[in-house]
Amino acid sequence: MNNNRTTAPPDIEVIDLCKRFGAVRALDRVSVKFRAGRIHALLGENGAGKSTLVKCLMGYYRADAGQVMLDGQQQAVLHARDAHALGLGMVYQHFTLVPQMTVAENFLLGRRRLPAIIDWRVEHRALDEFMASMPFRLDPRRMVATLAAGEKQKLEILKQLYLGRRFIVLDEPTSVLTPTEADEVLTEVRRLTDAGLLTVVLITHKLREVMRFAQDVSVLRGGKVVAHTPVAAASEPSLAKMMFGAPSSVEKPEPSRKSASATHDPYLELERIHALGDRGTPAVIGVSIGVRPGEIVGIAGVSGNGQKELVQILAGQREAHSGSMRVGGHAFHGTRRELERWGLSLLIEEPLVNAAVPSMSVAENLALRQFDRPPLAIAGWVLKRRALRPFARALIARYGIRVGSASAPLQTLSGGNIQRTVLARELARAVRLLIMQNPCFGLDVAAATEIRRQIMRVRNDGAAVLLISEDLDEVLDLSDRVLVMAGGRISYETDRAGADRYEIGRHMTQALARLSA
Amino acid sequence: MTGTFDLGWWGVLLAVVAGAIRVSTPYLLVSLGETLTEKSGRVNLGLEGTLVFGAMSAFATCYLTGSPWLGMLAAGVAGSALGLLHAAICNLPRVNDVAVGIALFIFGIGLAFFLGKPFIEPRAPMLPGLPLGNWSSNPAVRSAFEVSPMFFFGIVLAIVLEWSLKHTRWGLILRIAGESADAARAIGLRINRIRTLATMAGGFLSGLGGGFLSLYYPGNWNEGLSSGQGLMAIALVIFARWSPMRCFYASLLFGGTAAIGPAVQTIGITEGYYLFYAAPYVLTLGLLIYSSSPTRTLAGAPAELSISR
Amino acid sequence: MREPYPASQQDPGFSIEALESLLLALLAITAAALLFGAFLALQGHDALAVYRTLYLGAFGTRFSLESTLTQAAPLLLTALCTLIPARIGLLVIGAEGAVVMGGLGAALAGVALSDAPGAIGTVLTIATGALAGGLWIGAAGALKHFRGVNETISTLLLNYIAIALLNHLVSGPIRDFSQTLKAQSWSIPKSFMIGNIPGYSVHWGLLIGLVVCAVLHLVLRHTTLGFAMDILGGNRRAAQMTGLPIGRLVLFACFLGGAAAGLAGAIEVVAVHGAASESLVVGLGYAGILVAFLARQNPLAVVVVALVLGGISASGGLLQRRFDIPHAATTVLQGLIFLSVLASGTFRGRLLPRRNAP
Repeated sequence: MNNNRTTAPPDIEVIDLCKRFGAVRALDRVSVKFRAGRIHALLGENGAGKSTLVKCLMGYYRADAGQVMLDGQQQAVLHARDAHALGLGMVYQHFTLVPQMTVAENFLLGRRRLPAIIDWRVEHRALDEFMASMPFRLDPRRMVATLAAGEKQKLEILKQLYLGRRFIVLDEPTSVLTPTEADEVLTEVRRLTDAGLLTVVLITHKLREVMRFAQDVSVLRGGKVVAHTPVAAASEPSLAKMMFGAPSSVEKPEPSRKSASATHDPYLELERIHALGDRGTPAVIGVSIGVRPGEIVGIAGVSGNGQKELVQILAGQREAHSGSMRVGGHAFHGTRRELERWGLSLLIEEPLVNAAVPSMSVAENLALRQFDRPPLAIAGWVLKRRALRPFARALIARYGIRVGSASAPLQTLSGGNIQRTVLARELARAVRLLIMQNPCFGLDVAAATEIRRQIMRVRNDGAAVLLISEDLDEVLDLSDRVLVMAGGRISYETDRAGADRYEIGRHMTQALARLSA
Repeated sequence: MTGTFDLGWWGVLLAVVAGAIRVSTPYLLVSLGETLTEKSGRVNLGLEGTLVFGAMSAFATCYLTGSPWLGMLAAGVAGSALGLLHAAICNLPRVNDVAVGIALFIFGIGLAFFLGKPFIEPRAPMLPGLPLGNWSSNPAVRSAFEVSPMFFFGIVLAIVLEWSLKHTRWGLILRIAGESADAARAIGLRINRIRTLATMAGGFLSGLGGGFLSLYYPGNWNEGLSSGQGLMAIALVIFARWSPMRCFYASLLFGGTAAIGPAVQTIGITEGYYLFYAAPYVLTLGLLIYSSSPTRTLAGAPAELSISR
Repeated sequence: MREPYPASQQDPGFSIEALESLLLALLAITAAALLFGAFLALQGHDALAVYRTLYLGAFGTRFSLESTLTQAAPLLLTALCTLIPARIGLLVIGAEGAVVMGGLGAALAGVALSDAPGAIGTVLTIATGALAGGLWIGAAGALKHFRGVNETISTLLLNYIAIALLNHLVSGPIRDFSQTLKAQSWSIPKSFMIGNIPGYSVHWGLLIGLVVCAVLHLVLRHTTLGFAMDILGGNRRAAQMTGLPIGRLVLFACFLGGAAAGLAGAIEVVAVHGAASESLVVGLGYAGILVAFLARQNPLAVVVVALVLGGISASGGLLQRRFDIPHAATTVLQGLIFLSVLASGTFRGRLLPRRNAP
């Protein structure tokens, strides 16, 4: 076992690091010093350069210019193996564990030299010993597929320690954890650095985490370091200012029209929906929701609590094994005629995977909802291909989709334009029920503002809107009513006036605590 | 089989057991080979072509050199060559391994028939069997218990592979290539190399299976030699849920079912001969229907396999 | 983030993708031809002479042309058994079994309806064959949709079950014992048989195949059904969220594909053999898979590919007589072409520059 605990955690410094991808300068003379035994946070919006910086450090990219110093000595990190040899490790956003193998097998896989024949008794004992000295432990015999997200994250970190890494990059480690799990994990990490065992780089966008756990913070914007400060000298507002350069530029949506929603019957009614997740365990448990015309109902919650499965049920991509769904007072089965009749539109996350056909052209994708009706079809059977292009061009112009030709395959467009395409397709019809999932995820400020404006327009026109989002601020900004989904259940409900951020946050975790007890 | 009529139903049982052992051997070898290939994340539907080509190579080599063991070696080498071809093409990005398998199936059979034309008539020395039935004076029993060493090779291989998958470095590496290409790459493994070696090993064993057909049972080379054993093995691997030991049991089961037909013929039941022949396929289909579910992937299927997604 | 392009007012009349497909196909076939030539040269044959003979045997004389068309005719239909399900993302390799069931169905129908007038009898016989093939593969589609059984494996197994069923029936229950040459079923009435296209030695099956391919192209390209199938084949989740009836599409596509192959089997009975026998099991199904893949699941391309492959098969006899090359050589060539085309697929998207290249 290469777990030499007497090795001190290193001091890593990058000096004037540069990296270009084509015309884009992902890193522009970036210099940062990561001090030994401390947690150093890297803040920045999507695309600011945080990922590129650490990937250069880890040898996944080769920097075009600049130096990497370890304890004052220059190092050449040309390959991931070089980084590993220096004791550098990284824990990613998506788990790199193999689900159908045990914890022990996953540990062993990272070792540079595996014995030709593996004696599991010896290995298990060694792992048990190793874990005994760690602040958190796992049973090596368990199959990784049975671990919870928090346990998997801990396993990833343990793996790095087991492999003797003394400098660990954590890339958004808490994005799939509950607030409780996130706290636990980061507290342990802080304990490890305080004990002089690790140097940690924490990539996050959660300012609260930075303030609470990190000791130094660097802010990146557009490939440059715009600020560097010890956390003690910073505050959430000052950090936000450094990240965005101005007070929050996300427009507050226009004040909503007073809607008569309280007197209407719900347009969308879900009653005691139960469904299983991909692993066969219950994912949606007895969910009942009503959304009235002209109101936005927002469901807040940490990712992984059944929201994905709930949206899939609403989109007809997963079957609920009990419960009922009614739209406009009628039982809803998800047929094409019903979708048209009740004016149902969906904006699902990861549109290329869930809501569009990557190999079809932009024009064909724009026609997905209307291809069997005039002007695109005759008598519902004959498809007028020539009518596709003018239909598409009108939408392209109206929604500002940047594309060279309407017959370009959708997958050749940028992410933002793909999202605009799906938006155009879903909103350019009579929308009476809009269901959205993380609509602004990964979008820049301008695009996010535009989408919020569309959502309010749709609502003010009298549509019922269901917003499911992992961004609590988004939910609080837009919703007339706020629900919390935790552990597959709706655990809390409040209206806009009575919404208290801390109360809602507490419910996002409390239900889980109750379940795991 | 002479002399079984005086054994009556015991004769049938004997025939079924002996037949099971004999017929199951190629199934066993091919399915073990395909298990390795699929554990690494590839499916090789070209095994039928590999089997036939191996059979031809074995027979031709044995006929030309007089040594059946050299023939078996040639069969294995020929099989791994075709496996290499399969892997080389599938290693190219965005190539569908199912389609390549079918292409290889056509190519392998064509090549085998083409090069094997001159070897259809002549007879070649056969692989020796182990006379385990010499304690009996009954010739039927004796011939029933003459077992090819390839069968024992198969059993040993199944045990060794089952153990190795969990207890050796190579087993772990093979499995990770088939479970998560991302994780494998993250630890610096070269996936294509692993899959190539696994496919070549699978081809080697399939070639041996073919050699068994032409050099032991039925023991000749002609264009109707294989009745789909190669493709059958694909189903068998799924039936055995990618476990080498279960491949062994399943091979026996399928061998036994296929042997029932000829066996009952000897006591005068001639109807339904072909239906018995269909039995293994029906059985596999039935089990597939039973164990499949529209919402979940097959239990135990390597996650990277294209047919389990 | 990609550089945005200004919206252009013009779209190209052809697509880069189609041009690239054609180029890749030509490159692949050339590569295969070279490899085959080298293979022959190693055997001591004059490769160029063989190629000339291949061409002669395929398209050189009226006789060879007719042979080619005869060989190609069933392929036009069996290819569809793979093609139609492939459009919705399924990989079906059960054409062989569907052909057998089609032949059986046609033979049984023909015998059962032997009192019917000629034309009606022919139509019903053929229709029964198509129906049998359609139900056979449709069953696999049902298994896929309702039980999640992988269609590649199930149709593979169904192939063998169908062949076993054929052998069983034809050697006993429906056997015509007056035929001593080989085991075959009772014959259908002579009045049901379809003859050749006047003036040519090719049966009407060719025309049926051509018409089916043409109609299929129209349906796939110019109807809402075809568009729905494209959506399902492109992204199942997108199909679900736009409310498409996925189960119905799966069953329909599998049924239609099976019916096409069944039709081919029925035509073999009605135009060639007059009865069901093991002559139905000659690899028409597997050749059809080959055609479908080479044609990149496009019904119009199927016609061209079927002609080329039919030509290669047809010239087998001539090759055997002139150069003493076993008939299996044509299989080797076909296999090489298939492998070569599959390998060339890796260059898709990289051979020709794209307007919207990343």
